[in-house]
Amino acid sequence: EDLSVVGSWSGLPLHMEFEAPFWSEKLPAASGGNLNVALTTHNQMNLGVGDVFRLLGDGVYDVAMTVADYAVADAPELEGLDVPLLALTADEARAMVDAARPMVEDIYNARFNSHVLAIAPYPPQVVFCNAEINGLDDLAGKKVRGSGRMTTLFLEALGAEGVNVSFSEVPGALQKGVVDCAITGAGSGYSAGWWEVSTHLLPIPLGGWDSVVTAINLDKWNSLDDATKALIEESIATDFEGPAWAAAQGALDNDIACLTGNGACASGDARSMTLVSVSDADFAKAREVLVGKVLPDWAERAGGDWAQRWNDSVGKTVGVMIGG
Amino acid sequence: MAQDLLSTLRRVNRVVALLVGVLLMGCVAFVLADIVLRQLGSSLGGTDEISGYVMAIATAWGMGYTLLELGHVRIDLLRSRAPAPGRALFDLAAMLALAGTVTLIAIRGWPVLSRSLANSSRANTPLETPLALVQAPWLAGWAWFAVMAWLTFVAAVILVLRGDFKASEATIGTFGELDALK
Amino acid sequence: MIGYITAGLLGLLCLSIPVGIVLFLLGFGIDAFFSPFPLTKGLGNLVWSTSNNATLIAIPFFVLLGEILVRSGIATRTYAALDRWVSWLPGGLVHANVATATMFSATSGSSVATAATVATVAMPQAEKLGYDPKLFSGAIAAGGTLGIMIPPSINLIVYGFLTQTSIPRLFLAGLVPGIALALAFIAITAILCALRPELGGQRRVFPLSEMLRALLELIPIILLFTIIIGTIYQGWATPTEAAAVGVAGAIAIAAMFSGVTLAMLREAILGTVKITSMIMLVVIGASFLNFTLASAGIGRELQAFLEGLGLSPLAFMMVVVLIYIVLGFFIETLSLMVITIPIIVPLVVAQGFDPIWFGILMIVLIEMALITPPVGLNLYVVQGARRSGRMSEVMIGTIPYLLMMLLMVVALIAFPQIALFLPDALQ
Ligand code: NA
Ligand code: NA
Repeated sequence: EDLSVVGSWSGLPLHMEFEAPFWSEKLPAASGGNLNVALTTHNQMNLGVGDVFRLLGDGVYDVAMTVADYAVADAPELEGLDVPLLALTADEARAMVDAARPMVEDIYNARFNSHVLAIAPYPPQVVFCNAEINGLDDLAGKKVRGSGRMTTLFLEALGAEGVNVSFSEVPGALQKGVVDCAITGAGSGYSAGWWEVSTHLLPIPLGGWDSVVTAINLDKWNSLDDATKALIEESIATDFEGPAWAAAQGALDNDIACLTGNGACASGDARSMTLVSVSDADFAKAREVLVGKVLPDWAERAGGDWAQRWNDSVGKTVGVMIGG
Repeated sequence: MAQDLLSTLRRVNRVVALLVGVLLMGCVAFVLADIVLRQLGSSLGGTDEISGYVMAIATAWGMGYTLLELGHVRIDLLRSRAPAPGRALFDLAAMLALAGTVTLIAIRGWPVLSRSLANSSRANTPLETPLALVQAPWLAGWAWFAVMAWLTFVAAVILVLRGDFKASEATIGTFGELDALK
Repeated sequence: MIGYITAGLLGLLCLSIPVGIVLFLLGFGIDAFFSPFPLTKGLGNLVWSTSNNATLIAIPFFVLLGEILVRSGIATRTYAALDRWVSWLPGGLVHANVATATMFSATSGSSVATAATVATVAMPQAEKLGYDPKLFSGAIAAGGTLGIMIPPSINLIVYGFLTQTSIPRLFLAGLVPGIALALAFIAITAILCALRPELGGQRRVFPLSEMLRALLELIPIILLFTIIIGTIYQGWATPTEAAAVGVAGAIAIAAMFSGVTLAMLREAILGTVKITSMIMLVVIGASFLNFTLASAGIGRELQAFLEGLGLSPLAFMMVVVLIYIVLGFFIETLSLMVITIPIIVPLVVAQGFDPIWFGILMIVLIEMALITPPVGLNLYVVQGARRSGRMSEVMIGTIPYLLMMLLMVVALIAFPQIALFLPDALQ
């Protein structure tokens, strides 16, 4: 059986350390040579990020993985998978994702004609500021570069102004004051040199965890025999999803150490950004904004009974109720 | 008749091209307004997003004009050495390849729009632009290009069958009397 | 697969099918013969996503900017002014081509737009003054390529976007190599024409007073340059947005120095739409071909090949340069970047090379691709502005300048500081 697989961003650790080894070595080996995988990535194909799951549904390839948030144009209900600030640690994020999994499966069945095989995290999206901030409150009135609809709406609800700047232009924008703060993965910010042009680091997932969904075309999935299906599901859980989650917290701690110099940095020279701690009162307030404004807006965008389903699954896990 | 058709197509596409230009100028003004407003501490937001839509729509609708002005690049290596009837065959083959390909693009473009309609897709941005709203004019531009290509092809076939190679060369040849950049 | 692409590309191009369409047809062929998956199903999405791109809108903006300079007469006057300064050199007016291209490169982010601008004003002169058409048009095609090396530059924006490196730093890094290349072009022209005077036209010496007066004619273009670069470095506009600033600036400056009429704007718009669609059909076709190639596994072939060689960094870099030169014959420049950057840049960085430096090296290689047949957009643009003569004349005319670019590649590898000195000094 041949599988054509489209991976996520080829330059990021999730692909290099977990996706690529799993699809090109571990899975073919586990199948005893029955599964042949051809792996590329969506950026190598020059696909628009919003097209990755559309084309998967059309059967242009068999398996695809990318950030769920890229697909919310076609499925606003999918925004509920990755709500900012609800999960602070990798364990909490995993619990949130696991709770959302049945919803995600239904969304992928209906919208993208595909079946979800795995959900793995990118590092949480934290806040880099080139201005003194001492807590969430200080974001009000600042120009912040976010990405994705829910993050931007959340920033605006916090009183900040969402500014659209492409990733590669962020350092210049921070330096020149076009933006005061910008959100990205801690590791990406470290390797792209954002510490050169920013002073304060707010190490909370204000942009969420950017969950990466791996899905397989439904017709292809249904054409596989039960043994192959079981093999794929089993090995992707133990050889890809598990290790990726297991490394997530360590990677976050390491990245923050690298940016601030608090602790050992395994990626290179440690930098000296100021680590801003977030008080419980700050959190409580942010949650209030989330529950009072951002999530109800989402419930309306998603329509149907998605808010109810979210309350019963994700909401229960993280202790948040929409409209309650 | 073929000549009448062609001159009508040229005239209409000139107007289309001017409208495309107005769209581009509008985009210039919008980007400028945003830059100025940013200096004043506010922002229209979404200039990136809107520039992208403008580019997609402008590109699609400009294609037909470029075709009729013989602006799409061709390599003239063998063709220019052939006698007039031979050149006409090269031109008809090239035109057929173009018309077929563009038609396929227009046909394959339909699922893009229809999926956006079916999902009521909205851009993953604060603007939440309904994608169908921008994809419909984009797709119409490619359909227009396909129609232009077939009509031009038909007119050229008529001219070639009549043995009027000079006129067919001016219609679907390379540069001809029309200067590529004038 | 690489054999199929090469043969198919050459065959279809010889049939004189439009270049953009050839790229689509090759993609259909790869889908049919090399891929078990229905790739053509993705055609619509590919065309939409490729053209729905805020970075690419810089192309029509820069072309429009150039058109306005041409139609308002500013381009012609700039050309004449530079002619006063450089045509005492052996080669005469050919130097004005290079100098004008260099000047316009500083206001345009696109090599094609630069070449189109210079070709439109220069070509009538060549016929009038009886220049050898080969060297004269070759100088425009090659000089035009500086448009993407001297900031601003669409291709450096794309490189920065794809490799997540700083675009303003890339712009700074391109400045010195760009000017050095321009000087190298002038040097080779002078040497050639000194050896074989029939290649150039008359050397003309102008009185100092006239030279000084000519400087005034350069004010509009210098003003425009200051506006564009100023907005970028002041942080007012992103490099892409600066293209829109450039259009507005060009209109304002044209109004100030020579007047703007509706008829003139109409012609500028028509020219812009035509060139933009011409470029975009090639860009979109290349993007579709890239998609089918990536699906059929060319990235894996290339990566396995490079990693399997087990070379020293220097030898590795030579192979990379060779790959770009060969691919550059066949692939349009933006596609060439998009296809290769995700595969090659990580390998290059892993070998310890600086990504900003490599961006500049790649731009030189891409500049070469712009003037190597069969897929060389600048050749077509210059040929399009001529009213007679063979395409092959333009191609032959670019050869001396290609050699200079090759020399620049060697110099950049030997002395990376040529590119890195300026951004390092200003950080
Ligand atoms: Na430039
Ligand atoms: Na080339």
